[in-house]
Amino acid sequence: MLNKSTPTLRDGTRIEDLFNLETREVSLSTMYDPEIHQIEMEKIFTKVWLLLGHASEIPKSGDYVVRYMGQDEVIVSRDRKDEIHVSLNVCPHRGMHVCTAESGNAQVHKCIYHGWAFRPDGSFVGAPLEKEKMHGEIYPKEKLGLKKARVQLFHGLIFATWNQEAAPLEDQLGDMKFYYDIMFGKTHGGMEVLGAPQRLTIPANWKTAGEQAACDGFHTLTLHRSQFDIGNFGNISDTMDEFIPIMQGVNVAQKGNALRCISAATTFTSLIGSGEDFSKLSDLEKITKLPPPGIVTEQLLAEMKERLSPEQIHVCSVAPPQVGNMFPNVNLLFIYAPLPDGTLGSGYVIHTINPMGADKFQWITWFLCEKDTPEEIKDIIRAVAVQTGGTSGLIEQDDSDTWPHMTIAAKGAWGRTETLKYQAIGGENRPEGWPDKAHVYAGLSKDDAQWHWWLQYHELMTQ
Amino acid sequence: MNNTAEKVAPFEIPPINLPKPTDSITHYQIQQFLHLDAYLLDHNMLAEWLNILAPDLRYFVPIRQTRERKDRDKEFSTKLGHMDDNFQSIAMRVHRLVNTGTAWSEDPASRVRRFVTNVSVWETDVLGEYDVTSYLLLTRNRFYQDDYHLLSAERIDRIRRKGESFELVSREVRMDQSVLGMPNLAIFL
Repeated sequence: MLNKSTPTLRDGTRIEDLFNLETREVSLSTMYDPEIHQIEMEKIFTKVWLLLGHASEIPKSGDYVVRYMGQDEVIVSRDRKDEIHVSLNVCPHRGMHVCTAESGNAQVHKCIYHGWAFRPDGSFVGAPLEKEKMHGEIYPKEKLGLKKARVQLFHGLIFATWNQEAAPLEDQLGDMKFYYDIMFGKTHGGMEVLGAPQRLTIPANWKTAGEQAACDGFHTLTLHRSQFDIGNFGNISDTMDEFIPIMQGVNVAQKGNALRCISAATTFTSLIGSGEDFSKLSDLEKITKLPPPGIVTEQLLAEMKERLSPEQIHVCSVAPPQVGNMFPNVNLLFIYAPLPDGTLGSGYVIHTINPMGADKFQWITWFLCEKDTPEEIKDIIRAVAVQTGGTSGLIEQDDSDTWPHMTIAAKGAWGRTETLKYQAIGGENRPEGWPDKAHVYAGLSKDDAQWHWWLQYHELMTQ
Repeated sequence: MNNTAEKVAPFEIPPINLPKPTDSITHYQIQQFLHLDAYLLDHNMLAEWLNILAPDLRYFVPIRQTRERKDRDKEFSTKLGHMDDNFQSIAMRVHRLVNTGTAWSEDPASRVRRFVTNVSVWETDVLGEYDVTSYLLLTRNRFYQDDYHLLSAERIDRIRRKGESFELVSREVRMDQSVLGMPNLAIFL
């Protein structure tokens, strides 16, 4: 580590000095410092693959949505060949935004300022007054398109990066792909969005939400205490102890990606609890009794059995991946939710955390389901998911109110010298039969997996 | 004075095509009902507020997107919202806020004021039920902030006579922001 050249802030602090890797501490100054923020934009947000949306948002040729990569607006569009492109929403002529609407359909995006026009793939169509060469003769038309990001789809999720040298997305996901494949690739039809995403602005540093997404299990007990009080996470006595169902399971992490696989047995007992001994069932019997969130019909269950490997089925039977992140700024929440009629519903909630400066981010929330879910069940999922996650979600409204406090705390001359501590260490612990994929931490959810988020951040920031 | 001058416009001006408003007494009563609604919410009388909601309530805050003028009919999602509730789920929200002591998103509670104006009331096909639109300007102040989160919206309500008063049957809140400017909707609109 000492030999590594590491960026230095104006006051002489090296990025390296913000961490104590031995004691697992991070300076609270990271949660605000504008200088650090600038370095992040350069070393993280222009380097890695970023999630921009889902292919089902732009199903038809010409469909587009405007999204963010860091603070850069980009146009995500589908062309006539059914390919998805991501282009900088900045006219190469005089810097005007080419799209001023947030979504729509167009085979030609014409800049309203001087009329330069671009195709959904970002290529330059032409400028007005073709004969008069408004676009000049210095650059050929091929050089006058919108700046293009590289695009890669992962089970319909649209990722893009500015980094032409970046390894494929699979490299960024590492061994965690095994678990993400379970989450996103369970059915033949794949997922679809239940509508345009919710968006809101939170006056907080993006990392407050970013690091929490990476398996912060403990906050469930306190910040989300009301969920226990109203019975949404199963009923518990007044004593918070290690037997709380939602805290049990297997955390997995690698390369800053972390997931909480929550114990199926404890979910079964607390939410269905028919008195049956869940542990005596076979893997297939278990996932039939308690399918992972989103698998709401027998058809979908059959497809899942067909598509997943025996190892992945085993994971689902022991502890399906439900909550976590994708580095750097994606939050995943695949939930079971008790329905008004007493049965068990479920929903998929995906967030991105888009920095808009050191103390502000835009929180985008997509609600998804398996495409081949019956329409009447989609309606139920849609309502239950919105009541649970996102803007008004009974769970997530407490999170979004917490992050601004941490950011304000990080602005204080004394506050910034405090550290964030990840010292609840359980150590690697792989249950018998659990596949050897990523770092595995079975038992009560502790800080081990979450620390990987900072290790990845550290690695990118000190490069 | 008899003004016979013709209006000159570059296109044919369409007629105003709005139904006839209700009578002034009903209008006044419904306005008072909306004031009661705002009073109960502003004063954190959330449990009491449940009294004025109908059992078949639908409460919806649709997602809004900035669209080109030609696509304005697609601005609001008809399906997905920031809030999508019925009476039971609203009651659960209120229960959490009022009875748990751990609903941190509103504990300490925000200081909220709802300014309700531009009330329009129309008769419907159902006797005793009215379509009501109103404008909402909501200020929300929290903790030690010296400024406010603002939210302006048009509310499209269905309001039903119930005894001497009324009940809210449905509310669609059409916010003016496509990106909400406050960190959550832990409050009612």
